[in-house]
Amino acid sequence: MKRVIPVLILALLGCACSQQSAPLVASDVVVSKPMPGMSMTAGYLTLSNNASQPIIITHVASPQFESVEMHESVIEDGMARMYPLGDLMVLAKSSVVFQPGGKHLMLMRPVGQFDTVSLDFYAGKAVVLTVNVALSD
Amino acid sequence: MGPRNIFIAAVAVTAIAFGTWLSFKMASPPPVTQVATVFPVAGELPEFSLLDHNGDPVGRDVFQGHWNLVFFGFTHCPDICPLTLQVLTSAKNQLAADGFTALPRIVLVSVDPERDTPEILAQYVGYFGNDNLGITGDLTELLKLTGGLGIYFEKAAGDGENYSVNHAAVVLVINPDGQLKALFSAPHEAENFVHDLPIIMSQQ
Repeated sequence: MKRVIPVLILALLGCACSQQSAPLVASDVVVSKPMPGMSMTAGYLTLSNNASQPIIITHVASPQFESVEMHESVIEDGMARMYPLGDLMVLAKSSVVFQPGGKHLMLMRPVGQFDTVSLDFYAGKAVVLTVNVALSD
Repeated sequence: MGPRNIFIAAVAVTAIAFGTWLSFKMASPPPVTQVATVFPVAGELPEFSLLDHNGDPVGRDVFQGHWNLVFFGFTHCPDICPLTLQVLTSAKNQLAADGFTALPRIVLVSVDPERDTPEILAQYVGYFGNDNLGITGDLTELLKLTGGLGIYFEKAAGDGENYSVNHAAVVLVINPDGQLKALFSAPHEAENFVHDLPIIMSQQ
């Protein structure tokens, strides 16, 4: 028994560490309900890379929307423009913020009725992060 | 010093204090806007013939009788347009909470008449408030309005129905005579409208 307890403690610590050191973490996730009559909405969040290597997000997908694109709104010379983001690099030990008036997810053509949205962030063919979030008003 | 002298001295001190206060007040500059550009002479709007969100024909006189906050955007815009309309709605709510009664009307002029039918605009502007106004219609007529106001927009690259529109991000303030009185440049913050609008609207 004396030997078992330290092993259990180490196992528990191991679980905690692996949770904290998940390479890519999302926070402050907000996806609004599409406005009446609209077939699209925007999503915002902060992506934090806890790893010592950069992570490149190539695309995002969701079972609840036919298409999800990473975009950035900018005001240039008094003009509002929206650019599609290509590959998005989250540098090691850094964060990228998606916020109103800046980077955002554009979620288009919802599929059926739902209250929760699942977002899969891809690095190439691999899903590096899945986020589930309830739709907000 | 007798009571009579004390009375005279009190009157004199009061008169001096009042005079000082009055001269200070008269010398104080009027409040100034912190963000908005206010035009000393309000500008006339160009003639145009478009549709409101009910599908009824509207011209430049549609702006008369209200103060108007006019934004040029489109309903398929996921970020800047709803953000701007939320800012304007928030500012309007704050002005109402402050006891301001002559609240401005929020107007969205669509720069995407291809997709923004009156029905779609009605749902969109109605989402932000019941008394909002949406304007859309024929592109040629839209260009008369935007061109006359120096508002630029262009369809951006995209596939089929999946395209964006680049557009001027200003909010125009049109007075109840239907004249351009001021403009707010982006980025927009509700507190700037709450501060500046009462000043602008006092200069009708």
